Amino acid sequence: MSQGSAPPAPRPPRARGGSDRGFLAALWVIGSLYLVLVVAMLAADAAYTSPWHLWQSLQSREIRYAIRLSLLSCSLTAILSLWVAIPIGYVMARQDFRGKSVLDALLDIPIVLPPLVIGLSLLILFQTVPGRLLERVVPVTYAVPSVILAQFMVACAFAVRTMRATFEQISPRQEQVALTLGCRRSQAFWWVVLPQARRGVLTAVTLAWARSLGEFGPILVFSGATRLRTEVLPTTVFLELSVGNIEAAVAVSLLMVAAAVAVLLLIRAYGSEPTLTQGVRP
Amino acid sequence: MRSAKTPFVATILVAAVLVGLLVWQAADRPRPKAKEPLIVYCAAGLKPPMEVVARDYEQAYGTTVQLQYGGSGTLLSNLRIARRGDLFLAADSTYLELARSNHLVAEVIPLARMKPVIAVRRGNPKQVRLTSDLLRADVAVALANPDAAAIGKVARESFERSGHWAELIERAKVLKPTVNDVANDLKLGTVDAGILWDAVVRQYPELEAVAVPELASAGQEVSLGVLRFSAQPTAALHFARYVGARDRGQLAFARAGYEPVAGDAWAERPEVLLYSGGVNRLAIEETIQQFEQREGAQVTRVYNGCGILVAQMKLGQQPDAYLACDVSYLTPVQNLFNPGIEVSETDIVLLVAKGNPLGLRALADLARPGLRVGMANPRQSTLGDLTVQLLERSGVADGVLANVRSQTPTADLLVNQIRTGSLDVVVVYEANTSQVRDFLDVVHLGVPGAVAVQPYAVGTHSAHPQLMSRLRAAIQKEASRQRYAALGFRCRGEAAGP
Repeated sequence: MSQGSAPPAPRPPRARGGSDRGFLAALWVIGSLYLVLVVAMLAADAAYTSPWHLWQSLQSREIRYAIRLSLLSCSLTAILSLWVAIPIGYVMARQDFRGKSVLDALLDIPIVLPPLVIGLSLLILFQTVPGRLLERVVPVTYAVPSVILAQFMVACAFAVRTMRATFEQISPRQEQVALTLGCRRSQAFWWVVLPQARRGVLTAVTLAWARSLGEFGPILVFSGATRLRTEVLPTTVFLELSVGNIEAAVAVSLLMVAAAVAVLLLIRAYGSEPTLTQGVRP
Repeated sequence: MRSAKTPFVATILVAAVLVGLLVWQAADRPRPKAKEPLIVYCAAGLKPPMEVVARDYEQAYGTTVQLQYGGSGTLLSNLRIARRGDLFLAADSTYLELARSNHLVAEVIPLARMKPVIAVRRGNPKQVRLTSDLLRADVAVALANPDAAAIGKVARESFERSGHWAELIERAKVLKPTVNDVANDLKLGTVDAGILWDAVVRQYPELEAVAVPELASAGQEVSLGVLRFSAQPTAALHFARYVGARDRGQLAFARAGYEPVAGDAWAERPEVLLYSGGVNRLAIEETIQQFEQREGAQVTRVYNGCGILVAQMKLGQQPDAYLACDVSYLTPVQNLFNPGIEVSETDIVLLVAKGNPLGLRALADLARPGLRVGMANPRQSTLGDLTVQLLERSGVADGVLANVRSQTPTADLLVNQIRTGSLDVVVVYEANTSQVRDFLDVVHLGVPGAVAVQPYAVGTHSAHPQLMSRLRAAIQKEASRQRYAALGFRCRGEAAGP
């Protein structure tokens, strides 16, 4: 690096290029360690089962129901989470008020609590007088709405965190400009802030969806494990595992992986659609 | 710039579609509808209440109910030969028992209770007040033949106990073949007193009943049987549940003078909650699915470790029935349930690698230094508790517990752990091993006490006690018992039909 007689101009870039390669290689190595672990896990799963077991799983009416219920409930939960997370995230990012830190801690409770405790708490909640009154109108406990509610309790907390971080990272400047140009606060929100939060919204939806797909603890307690009624894919895995039928459990797990990858790719593809990104650009 | 309102509205539409799909998926179940009329073989004596119930049912659900009247014995012969029809309502339980023992009847739904009484003409002209009055020279008595009619049999049993029978049968003016023959004799005045069902007395305005202590404890149920060869069992059961419902058919029976039984509340499609220890799941799941389909009912089942289930019940959950992992897990919540009926039992066994390479034969072998042992947690599970008791009785508790590498809340986790090869031996229920017998070996301990017994109990608060009893009967049927046996359970009690 320090050869005095040589012309300095061409050398440094080469030297810098070399060190970049080393740096990037290090990133790749560290990154691949993790990726290798993920892929190895899936490979081990795949080795434990067989196409026949996968086929058998898909043939089962109960498992087909669980797949449908999982996909429908997760998607609904993701949308519900978004509807709640955007207002909360916006308020938490833009406004200061007394008791904000308490509220902040409350919003994290569903993330901190063990899943079983969330299920148990929901179960107890619906045994109270208002809970029972609600059950008379819409049966919740041990029925499909309980699945969505259990998923929502946890997924929404993650969506709120994501949306709050998103709004915090968006500079309030453009919004303020819009306000000075005569926009009302709501107009600025719909026309300026929310289009800028696109990526965050997509991340929040993805996170909520993925989190719901894997949700299990609260569902087992609050929704039961009734086949063809409240059985979602993680319940299926649990039921198969609880009798030592590891092959079927793994087959269903792989189905879950496939469903998750498909949906995540779909959301990413939608997210990078150029006509939609135009919205954020002037 | 574009507003974010459009994508937002899109999410509302998507959510609406998702809700629609969920509702559609939930509603996508076959509904029990009888295309053919329901044929009921009905004992003539039960015509008054049955006609009312059948008419109400036809109006409510549009299903035609054909009541075929006749004597119970004649009807029994008819349906035996014809092998068609859906339901059988006999005048007393003798005929239904006969039908059941001939495998003609599947489910039996109790409708009402009848008690034997002394019957006299209205006003009681001969002043019959006590059983001893039947033995007076001026009182002519008619009895139903104890070999032909259930009322005669019940009278004989009751009066044999009180010591009146020998004299009564000696002095009886006549023995008649059916209960209605005796009632007719009384009505015509050919005799002064007879033994009849209280419900029959109420159907004759000319008669009145005299209750005597000798007959007070006797009685029997009027029940509706679903015929095994019914081509539409779900529709037949729908009607049978309607007739037996305490707020539907039983009202008509009560108006006709019958004493009601503990019937179910009416529900077009009953929804019940079953709590079951996880160990029972494989054994009962198929039976429950068939039961749901046949009964047109929804059984929500919650499978979990019994410790967790007990905790949930103590928090206020009240399942309609509970199938525990062991009797010791029914005791803490017994106040919520009727007495349990022991359905099955399973042994506590060792599970080892195929071929048992370490030669583990008894509990004492588990104390070998360096052995990797897995057992259930004694505080969280019955199995763990029973295991520790066994170890202590064998005097090897210290040595074995020192070898325990894994303690889990449920046995199934142990099975998975030994399957992955991380343990040498685990102590589990034999019923946990059914899916892994190709990969692992089961070693029976052959010591007393190495067993867990599973009781089934119906909740005292349940709105569907009869339905839950029929579920128990379904679990105790031969086909279900075979599934239990294949999984490593032994069944208790008699088989409740094929």
